[in-house]
Amino acid sequence: MNQELKTCFEVLKANKLLWDSGIDECKPLLCALANLAAQLKALKSVQITNTPLASFPSLHQRLHYKLSLAVDAVLMKLAEKMDVLQRVRDAVGQQVSAVFQFYEKNADTLDIAGCVSRSAVCPSVSDMFEWLQDAERYYRLQLVQRRNLLQTLTPSDLTLMETAPKRWESLHSASGEERIADAMCQVSFFLETE
Amino acid sequence: MEGLKVLPRDAVDSDTQRCRMGPTLMSRLGLRLGSPVLIRVLQGTCLCTAWPRPDLVDGYLQISTQCATPDLGTQALTGLTVDPPQIKPLKCLKLSCVTVKVFVQSPEHKRKVPEQSVQELLQGLYVHEGHLVDLSCAKAEIRFVLVEKLNSGSQKAGLVTARTRVDVSVIQTVKHMERQRLQVSASALGGVEDVYASLKEMITFPLRYPGTLRQLGLSCPRGLLLIGPPGVGKTLLVRCAAKDIGATLVTVNGPEVTGSRPGESEENLRRMFDRARAEAEEGPCVLLIDEIDSLCPRRTGSSGAPENRLVAQLLTLMDAIGSHEGFVIIGATNQPDALDPALRRPGRFDREVIIGVPSLLQRRSILKCVCREMPLSPDVDLNAVAEMTCGYVGADLSALSREAALQAMRHSQAGASESVSMQHFLRALRHVQPSCLRSSIGATDFKPISWEQIGGLEDVKLKLKQSIEWPMRFPEAFVRLGVSRPRGVLLYGPPGCAKTTLVKAAASSSHCTFLSLSGAELFSPYVGDSEKTLAQLFAQARACAPSIVFLDEIDSMVGSRADSASSHSVQSQVLSVLLTELDGVGIRTVERRSNGRKIAQLEGGEQEEARIHQMELQEVCNKDVLIVAATNRADVLDSALLRPGRLDQIIYVPPPDLEGRQAVLQICTKGVPLHQDVCLQDLAAQTERFSGADLENLCKEAALLALREEGLDLMTINQQWKPVEELELVKKLTK
Repeated sequence: MNQELKTCFEVLKANKLLWDSGIDECKPLLCALANLAAQLKALKSVQITNTPLASFPSLHQRLHYKLSLAVDAVLMKLAEKMDVLQRVRDAVGQQVSAVFQFYEKNADTLDIAGCVSRSAVCPSVSDMFEWLQDAERYYRLQLVQRRNLLQTLTPSDLTLMETAPKRWESLHSASGEERIADAMCQVSFFLETE
Repeated sequence: MEGLKVLPRDAVDSDTQRCRMGPTLMSRLGLRLGSPVLIRVLQGTCLCTAWPRPDLVDGYLQISTQCATPDLGTQALTGLTVDPPQIKPLKCLKLSCVTVKVFVQSPEHKRKVPEQSVQELLQGLYVHEGHLVDLSCAKAEIRFVLVEKLNSGSQKAGLVTARTRVDVSVIQTVKHMERQRLQVSASALGGVEDVYASLKEMITFPLRYPGTLRQLGLSCPRGLLLIGPPGVGKTLLVRCAAKDIGATLVTVNGPEVTGSRPGESEENLRRMFDRARAEAEEGPCVLLIDEIDSLCPRRTGSSGAPENRLVAQLLTLMDAIGSHEGFVIIGATNQPDALDPALRRPGRFDREVIIGVPSLLQRRSILKCVCREMPLSPDVDLNAVAEMTCGYVGADLSALSREAALQAMRHSQAGASESVSMQHFLRALRHVQPSCLRSSIGATDFKPISWEQIGGLEDVKLKLKQSIEWPMRFPEAFVRLGVSRPRGVLLYGPPGCAKTTLVKAAASSSHCTFLSLSGAELFSPYVGDSEKTLAQLFAQARACAPSIVFLDEIDSMVGSRADSASSHSVQSQVLSVLLTELDGVGIRTVERRSNGRKIAQLEGGEQEEARIHQMELQEVCNKDVLIVAATNRADVLDSALLRPGRLDQIIYVPPPDLEGRQAVLQICTKGVPLHQDVCLQDLAAQTERFSGADLENLCKEAALLALREEGLDLMTINQQWKPVEELELVKKLTK
């Protein structure tokens, strides 16, 4: 049992790094997206015929096309990042459900008293399960929320796109991250013991 | 083992399904980490996963309401105690498919809720059929999910996994759900089953089966006018029906709509209709216009009055809803005559449903309804209460039960709660008068008199009992023999022979509504006022039937048309009103009451059934008003009044004979200490041609004489104080 839990936490640890880096990489992309949105907005409000650039033919359409292409490119990149995040979630989810299934199979040999007994170096099985479940749920909900945010972004609503980085930041839940970090700290001794 | 104290959840466990309990309890219940358990509390059930408390202490329980029955809120759980048997371990399999109803935050997201995201949110949760799953933790558009079916109905509970297929049946907004939750429960309604059924059918047909109706080429009725006296439960009926159907209720009140600036009222009205229209897009919607008579009075001749514009606006709005199916308008009023006639035509208010004052059986079921949650002691007979409360409407009956409960509270010792007994109901009956008689003209309060308090006159009593009491007591016999109860009874005879007292006794022995009218109340200086008063009295009496209308000294009220002097006087006008009220063509449609349809309820065995049958018969026999008139000049009454069908029982109340006098004397001297030498028989023999009133006076006089002669500390009255001669003298002088 402990062995299973150990591998699970190892996986969680590795994926946590992946997740964090994934989230960090998304940030500049969203800023870029906001910039593009601001440009598009500006393009909409400006009257090109009133400016010195009036002599260029169909400048408005061309600029719009360019910007749209850029937006699409950024969104594509973001989608790739989301795929990375989803892989993290899937990996964690699979690992957690696997360890849970292992527990269910061996539950007859492991009574509640055994599950809740803990020591200085080794947290109880129930605590560890709790942390794993919490982490899994956190990643799942985060992914749903972040994906929802990206799905609401459309070229027709530019203000929404402009505020996207802010909202992306607001989705970041410090307490959730902290809980996972806490859990990792608590199991660090347990992981080192053989 | 003692009960478990329910504590609020820790912040760590918020938005999880974990239910924290002590490890000892877990091992006793045979639970593993994360086993699903169904916890049953008073307000509902919830499905949680068992988890040991971090501090491993027993005796406490922290319940998660993430997946619970819709009525169960977190606040309902604080301070509760749960017994271990209320926690039931469940066997939950992984689900292959689940059908859900989704509630989203804002209406614009109603169209595009991907099943994928619902699935992702539900993943890893244990769900139970009929439970509401709270998903607001994700801060996504999807806030709640109502689980309708699991594995196409074969399972009650299960686990949603990544491989579970999620079908979304309906998408509604959270606001819609909350509004439905706020509406009153339908069970608070009794006695209007037939009206309720027709109302429900009328609302559901266009809302539920618009396709079928379109196929048949029918335009569905969209308007309904509820008519009934105040307090019969019109508004409650609509609320219950809306709740039952699952429709949103938008209520319009007259005063709310009316604004001070010109055009403001119309604007408010339009806004109400727009709101109803917006609701109707989400699901069935009922627009209730309460007290519609204040909003839409009869348009008067002078054009430009603000009401006229409001009425016109309402009419056009009602005509305009043609294209919006799934939206029904209900108007409620107690004065249908005050409405503008343009409203009452098919296309606007297609149907009119009249809810009358409840009949005996209806009162019985209303009483059962309002007393359902009351601790009744076994001596309470709700059937008897229903019989005693004729003329009471639903609101009165609930006031009655409340008053009875208050009486019980007043008499119970502090802290100890006493159950409500019959005595409390009887006391409450004295406080709560039927509301339809509150403003009535003829409502009278008198001290109840029993038949025994009237001496002699046995055959008169028998006749009166026959015509008043028997139809109430033995309806079977009346129905079997095909006899209907008499319409009217005329008592005539010399003054002082207990005519009025007889009527009082009749009224108090049968639990009828008793209305009494005297000439002073009837006549007024305005032309036509007396006739109107009389007609109103009869309308009220019919509403509270079975009832007795007592017209004392009827000769002064109506007179006769025969003597030419009074042919155009007020008396003859009143007489003609009385004649038509007694035996007219019919009653006005507005006064219609339930048509005595048999309500099939089989509960409580044969005895109960027999009782219900008897009540039904009684209702059939006694739906009319009984007129009792008293006069001492029967010869001046109009002959049209005295024919059978109007005043068909004409009873002569004679002066008491020998035995009668003796009986009267016995009753009059009951409270008087008599000396042994007093012989009542002898006295009766001496008092030839004395009436009952005279005899009572005689006893009083004798007592006063005795006091005068013997001083105030007198103990008994002797035979020697014979006021008879003296009285005889007085009588001779007066007659």
